[in-house]
Amino acid sequence: MVDLKVEIAPGVTLKNPVLTASGTFGYGREYAPYFDISKLGAIITKGLSWQPKIGNSGVRITETACGMLNAIGLENIGVERFLTDELPILQKLNATVIVNIFGNNQDDYANLAAKLDGIIGIAALEINISCPNVKAGGIQFGIDPQAAAKLVAAVRKKTSLPLITKLSPNVSDIVMVAKAVEEAGSDSLSLINTLIGMAIDLDRKRPVLGNVTGGLSGPAIKPVALRMVYQVAQVVSIPIIGIGGISNARDALEFLLAGATAVEVGTANFINPRAAIEIAEGVEKYLDEQGCVKVTDFIGSLA
Amino acid sequence: MYLFNSEVVKNQKLTQNIFRLRLKAANDFCRAATPGKFVMLGSDDGLFDPLLRRPFGICRWGSDWFEVIIKVVGRGSSQLSKFEKGVSVAVHGPLGNGYPNNNPKNDQKTLFLVAGGMGIASIASYLFSALDRNQSLAGTFLFYGAANYSELILLNELTAADAFGLQLQTITDDGSCGRQGLVTQLLTHELQSRPQSQVFACGPEPMLKSVQKVLLEADCDGYLSLENRMACGFGVCLGCVQTMINKDDDANVKTAKVCTQGPVFPARQVIF
Ligand SMILES: Cc1cc2nc3c(=O)[nH]c(=O)nc-3n(C[C@H](O)[C@H](O)[C@H](O)COP(=O)(O)OP(=O)(O)OC[C@H]3O[C@@H](n4cnc5c(N)ncnc54)[C@H](O)[C@@H]3O)c2cc1C
Ligand SMILES: Cc1cc2nc3c(=O)[nH]c(=O)nc-3n(C[C@H](O)[C@H](O)[C@H](O)COP(=O)(O)O)c2cc1C
Ligand code: FES
Repeated sequence: MVDLKVEIAPGVTLKNPVLTASGTFGYGREYAPYFDISKLGAIITKGLSWQPKIGNSGVRITETACGMLNAIGLENIGVERFLTDELPILQKLNATVIVNIFGNNQDDYANLAAKLDGIIGIAALEINISCPNVKAGGIQFGIDPQAAAKLVAAVRKKTSLPLITKLSPNVSDIVMVAKAVEEAGSDSLSLINTLIGMAIDLDRKRPVLGNVTGGLSGPAIKPVALRMVYQVAQVVSIPIIGIGGISNARDALEFLLAGATAVEVGTANFINPRAAIEIAEGVEKYLDEQGCVKVTDFIGSLA
Repeated sequence: MYLFNSEVVKNQKLTQNIFRLRLKAANDFCRAATPGKFVMLGSDDGLFDPLLRRPFGICRWGSDWFEVIIKVVGRGSSQLSKFEKGVSVAVHGPLGNGYPNNNPKNDQKTLFLVAGGMGIASIASYLFSALDRNQSLAGTFLFYGAANYSELILLNELTAADAFGLQLQTITDDGSCGRQGLVTQLLTHELQSRPQSQVFACGPEPMLKSVQKVLLEADCDGYLSLENRMACGFGVCLGCVQTMINKDDDANVKTAKVCTQGPVFPARQVIF
């Protein structure tokens, strides 16, 4: 039997390399009727802000060729209710929990990190610096390497939890952002968040989404995500978690080959609630069949 | 709810672009079905194209099958409408909360069912469930509106429900069947003589909006079945949310997930 354990950040060893992507797995318990969520490497919860957030109005989702656009607007219950209502359930379900956070400014992020520091049942933080709605002096944190580094350094000071920085693909050079946040103290990187896109209703001469633009996810973005993981893996020495259109075990294995230590399954969870566990089982089966002893031997072994 | 691959038993063409699919299902699934619940359906070919599953009301069911009625409006519905006998379909359901049970006290009241266009698939699930359990439909009215005669479906079965006491009134935009006009006209008219009635409505959003208006004006309670776009159908994507009045705090609004908290909601709560 292949050893599937991976270390995604110092001191954070997961039982297997399959995680779930923020915003596609609710707060975790919604999936408990479908499978034992403690069997996943980790689950990453819906992006949390300091205050509850109600999200965008109008049409929020639409399917596009081999993908979907969403403009949910980071609707969430806020950190306080997460800690009182949701985290205890996740602990009872024995899930390994990574909390995804976002804010409107640097203080928001720092406050969230301080609040979550030392709380039992949280394995790591994933900081979403790639949300299109989050502005820093008119510039998105995620598109400016310096702003991204400053933010990570500020969060770093406030928490002893391992930090995973989630990168945006909507940049001219993702490698520069990756290097900047590595230097600023991020323990690992996850990539990619959604690509900004748009859909138009021709007959009504209107944008389909209430928010006009939205984030593209699903199989359509997999080649872009693979390329970015591959490029970043060449230059950073911290672990990378690959995200983007992963729909079956073969997709996940391709990301591991490209240099990702683990993967997050996103949109595929909507189609089949058992997708993540089926992918984890599929990865194990494939590596067993290949006679692989440790998944870490397979990671980054692209010829 | 259940996740399984089912097999098409029958695909019946009802009109040029409306199809009735009968699918196999386990007893447990059928026992969990109630009027107004829905399923997410998709191909099981593993190609993810179309990507997401699509929501359809469970229109009728037996002990080992259920039926959906699919109107072709885009790629997802088009793919499903072409599935012939023997083809395997991925099913997730029954999902959501259907229409409330008519308790004995409510049974004394008149029940007005209001269906616009494909809303009939959801409304008919209530009627079929009564017929299949030999329940009387005395005091039940169905107001069924569509663009024109050729868009009215299930007319044979609905007319046959006469024998159970159903009173059917149709109305079309162009007057090609029944009266000419909008289905809310029928509701407004009948509510005048029976203001203390129960109302279930399903149809396009503009129709539900005007049903809500009629109900508020008559100070009558009722339920609306919403059909917001859905990506997951089980409460995790937040794509389907609808703004609602926050009962705890009148000044405030909240959002509700149509898939898990609905699709049937008290009419007074919905903010269109
Ligand atoms: C709870 C629920 C129950 C439903 N029950 C039925 C049913 O019994 N029979 C039936 O024929 N349809 C039903 N629908 C609507 C059905 O799900 C959509 O028509 C279908 O998803 C469209 O998919 P598509 O790929 O064919 O179209 P798309 O290519 O996705 O869209 C084509 C057009 O359809 C419109 N559309 C897309 N999704 C919806 C939606 N959810 N509601 C209304 N319009 C939409 C779009 O605006 C677009 O103009 C139901 C929807 C919900 C949410
Ligand atoms: C509906 C939806 C909501 C999402 N919400 C979040 C979020 O709250 N925080 C975040 O960091 N990413 C969010 N994402 C992005 C995903 O986590 C993931 O990065 C992206 O969807 C690409 O992966 P996929 O193609 O496997 O879905 C969301 C994606 C979708 C589709
Ligand atoms: S359809 Fe995904 S939350 Fe309702």
